[in-house]
Amino acid sequence: MSAAPSTLSALRSLLAARFPEKNRRPSGGVPTGVPAVDAALGGGLPAGRLTEIVSAAPSSGGQTVLAALLVATRAARQRVALVDAADGFAPDAVPADALRHLVWVRGRELEATLAAADVLVRDGNFAAVVLDLRGCDERALGKLPAATWHRLHRATEASAVAVLVQSTRPLVPAVPCRLILGLAQPLGSRRAVRGELAARLDVTMARGHAEARDEGQEALAG
Amino acid sequence: MSYAVLRVPDFSLHALRRGDAALTGRPVAWVAGEGRHAVVQEASPEATEVTPGLAVTLALARCPGLLVRPRDPAAESEVTGMVLAAGFTLAPRVELTAAGWCTVDLQGADPAATRAALRERLRELAAAAVPARGGIAATPWLAGQAARAAETWREVVDAGAFLRPLPLAWAEPTKGQAEILAGWGVRTLGDLTALPKAEVGLRLGTAGAVLWERAAGETKRPLRLVEPAKSFAAAWAYDPPVEALEPLLFRLQRYAERLAIELRGAGCVAERLALTLLLEDETDHRREFRLPEPGADVAGWMRIMHAHLETLKTVARVVGVRLVATPTRPPQKQDGLFETGLRDPAAFWENLARVGALVGDDRVGTPVVAETHRPDAFTLVKPADVVAPPEAPPFHATRGLALRRFRPAWPVSVACDGARPTELAGPGLRGGVRAASGPWRSAGDWWTDGAWAVEHWEVELNEGGLYRLAHTAEGWRVEGIFD
Repeated sequence: MSAAPSTLSALRSLLAARFPEKNRRPSGGVPTGVPAVDAALGGGLPAGRLTEIVSAAPSSGGQTVLAALLVATRAARQRVALVDAADGFAPDAVPADALRHLVWVRGRELEATLAAADVLVRDGNFAAVVLDLRGCDERALGKLPAATWHRLHRATEASAVAVLVQSTRPLVPAVPCRLILGLAQPLGSRRAVRGELAARLDVTMARGHAEARDEGQEALAG
Repeated sequence: MSYAVLRVPDFSLHALRRGDAALTGRPVAWVAGEGRHAVVQEASPEATEVTPGLAVTLALARCPGLLVRPRDPAAESEVTGMVLAAGFTLAPRVELTAAGWCTVDLQGADPAATRAALRERLRELAAAAVPARGGIAATPWLAGQAARAAETWREVVDAGAFLRPLPLAWAEPTKGQAEILAGWGVRTLGDLTALPKAEVGLRLGTAGAVLWERAAGETKRPLRLVEPAKSFAAAWAYDPPVEALEPLLFRLQRYAERLAIELRGAGCVAERLALTLLLEDETDHRREFRLPEPGADVAGWMRIMHAHLETLKTVARVVGVRLVATPTRPPQKQDGLFETGLRDPAAFWENLARVGALVGDDRVGTPVVAETHRPDAFTLVKPADVVAPPEAPPFHATRGLALRRFRPAWPVSVACDGARPTELAGPGLRGGVRAASGPWRSAGDWWTDGAWAVEHWEVELNEGGLYRLAHTAEGWRVEGIFD
């Protein structure tokens, strides 16, 4: 059965008016500078979407992805906010020039830190907002109400910012893209050039993939 | 100052009057019930002698020119949308407490800026025929009462002084509680809180203690947060259909006002307006207006639509209208050729202040590594208005995984074979060491009182994971993980 073109057109208009944020194509992505991550995400962290990177093993490269993102966004002259719930970011682990575009929020209490992330996601001046929840109390994270994540999803969709959540276990319900870093690096990796090391990180797409996301957007856009 | 409330007194009546031009300046009452059972619920000031609870027949006898109307749910929904949107311009955490009543969590907001913004929103709402009242206080309930008591807006600093003279009914006692307390001679909230809370609880039960807490302004509750509007559209119907321009423009203005406040609440402006007139013969007339400059200026929108509608001749009467605003971010400063400025500087600094209030002003900023070899030495500085172009990459490439610190560093007991760590045991980390690299010794500031010296080791545990150990005069610590 085929619908009349006018009916389809009307339906598309109705959907576009009712769900403008769903119909909007992501306005580009924010490359992380880590080839495996960018390839899995179809070019970089998608704007207007949440992405979760799970560091399933210690020393699997989560902080290195963050460092690479800072370098890449600095080169692209974009601003980044880091909401660091456990206050683990080490500025001396990143080239000094890759810090100049960064706003670092050193968290103390989880609730206030999440409220800060909510404010920054809605700000409009940042290309990417990173919410780093590694090192937080697992029980406190488990008790977060689903509404917290729903609200973050909605705020992200309404903005043009790419939001990256870093965690040690899958945390964000209904996240469009979730990557798993699963391979612990050996001590010998300390001698490897970081760029080459980043290219060797073991990245697995656990949820969503670039092609499917693009097709979905095409279908919605009509 | 933690919460703000925006609420519209006599909400249903004001919504009704706002939606119908014929009710302006006339005695109006909205009624509930049918026929002889119809009873006045709220009456406008022009309806002298008419009080809530009066039968309609009696009200009409007392005020012959009285216009009697049922509630208008569509108009109420519009006004609620406007109040909610105004709340979102104050802070992002907003609750729709009741129809025409929203509560805003002001945690992190700048007090002076919030007061100014609240006054401005109340002025805008009043200009759009929504006479809202504002209240600011330490709890949601108290802020609600402040708005209830306010002429325009009121901030409660001393809760006790504010609450004591208020009538007991403001604490919403049950009928039974009110009767008992009246028998005790309790007339005001101050009378109630003058009694010991425990004694009130003993005689009136848990509900009595809760009532006492409410009367003392101690009641706290979490907000049920709502999301701001994501689509900016309004649609309404005319019954009977209209053929003149005035009723069309009147309703168009009302809905445009709501859309403009919603857009501002979402930090957006309109770049296009799409107007659809649904006609009696089941056809429609559509027109899209691309605004010369994106904005949320209702007067400007109305001028454009008025100019179009004035010359429009439709083949049938208008039975409905739909207005859709296409949102966009406000036009901002363009980046320079070699620099990155802020797209929206006002929002940036305001939001940083808000974040600073949440986590501490000293915990937000751009990190600058200190000119020293002392571990973890940095300062946080104010982010730059303009970020300079990137420098050339460092000559010596960075190596290895990036360090993620544990602050404070974890104390750990370390078993060694000679100087080399072989096993770690601590509350945060334990296990055998598979490989270790070190030591790297550094020291500094030995010419001052703040002299320091540390020996670093990098270790790989049998279970996996690369950690940095620091050995000082105080003992061993795990400084962080290479990740």
